[in-house]
Amino acid sequence: MALQISIRESADVTILDLRGRSTLDDGESESLSKQLQSLITDGVRKLLLNLEHLTQVDSSGLSVIIATYVSLKRRDGDLKLLRPSGRVLDVFTVFRLTNAIPSFEDEAEALASFRSRSYSATP
Amino acid sequence: MTTPCSSAVAPNTQKSALLVASGGDVDKLLTEVLTSEGWGIQHVADNQHVLELARANPFDLIITGRETRVREDVELLRKIRSARPHLRLIILTDKFTPGDVISAMREGAFSYFSAPFNASELTDMVRAAMAEPCWDDGIEVLSGTPQWFTLTARCDLATANRLVQFLHGVRDPSIPEDDKDHIIFAFKEILINAMEHGGHFDPSQHVEISFIRARRAIACRVKDPGKGFSLEELRHAAANSSPDDMFSHARVRDERGMRPGGFGILLAKKLVDELIYNEKGNEVVLVKYLHPPESPTQ
Repeated sequence: MALQISIRESADVTILDLRGRSTLDDGESESLSKQLQSLITDGVRKLLLNLEHLTQVDSSGLSVIIATYVSLKRRDGDLKLLRPSGRVLDVFTVFRLTNAIPSFEDEAEALASFRSRSYSATP
Repeated sequence: MTTPCSSAVAPNTQKSALLVASGGDVDKLLTEVLTSEGWGIQHVADNQHVLELARANPFDLIITGRETRVREDVELLRKIRSARPHLRLIILTDKFTPGDVISAMREGAFSYFSAPFNASELTDMVRAAMAEPCWDDGIEVLSGTPQWFTLTARCDLATANRLVQFLHGVRDPSIPEDDKDHIIFAFKEILINAMEHGGHFDPSQHVEISFIRARRAIACRVKDPGKGFSLEELRHAAANSSPDDMFSHARVRDERGMRPGGFGILLAKKLVDELIYNEKGNEVVLVKYLHPPESPTQ
């Protein structure tokens, strides 16, 4: 299933709900990258990626997430992850990504962490 | 190499598919996908009349029923393609042997799904078959036994995806599913790198691939048509990031205005046991050692 992206907001945090896969196959990662870059260009600095329904990620999808994290950090912003699971979590685990980018199981907790700025990864 | 199509299908012509009954959810799913795109569908109970129908009607796509043995489907495909070389045929099967995937690729099947298969992956592949305005194969088996096969693949993403699905169709109970998933995942990353950086996604270029099944390992060799590269010189590749700072290459890419990327080689490295490049850098071998499933406690 190709990637579907829904965008919502909670206070000053922009939440992207991802459904499907983020791979090179049909340009899904490219479309995610464009969407994220467009948000950053528009001034968004706090991003939460909801990965609960993301079924697959390859190096292109992983690269987009890391590039967005690096790009936001350079702009004093932040990126966090919500509920990575299955094959996606497997890939993140291989790279110990959830040690570097904070990951949460609970959305309220993830949102609260943007306010506190003092969080610990993978509660 | 296969002969390219001479002309595209006229855009206003309704396309049509022949579906051999698989029963239940699969028939319903395929019917939904095809009708949603405005395709005409003819249903048939089994392979018996498929050849006759295919000779009489210019179907764009045939999907076999899962009850038939692959050997029969492949024989059918061979006969149909002698009359209609650009017809796309997707094999669905519950009845297969280890060499069937190679036979299906050799005869030019569009794709191959052995049970149990993922419905979402099947619909994606059907959509890919439907989207090709003019299809010729892109995969050519040069030599093949279940232990060692060599093929060439055209440098485009659609061909890469088809080849990966063929590999997923290989069912060998002696290979743990996790090991199989890891080597296919790693292979896909390396294949796409080869097609992109070695072949520039130029469909006139081909990548050469060999798979070798040893008793306790699977090896895969990928040779691209490019000039090669030196991994040490790629500061924008994750494989060269410091172990303490896995994002250093991402910062290099960000500073240089490069698109996100650079994780393919590192991801492949982490999924297999060995990844070895030749001196020129246009040929790579992946090795995955197999750990036999534990025997039940006596």
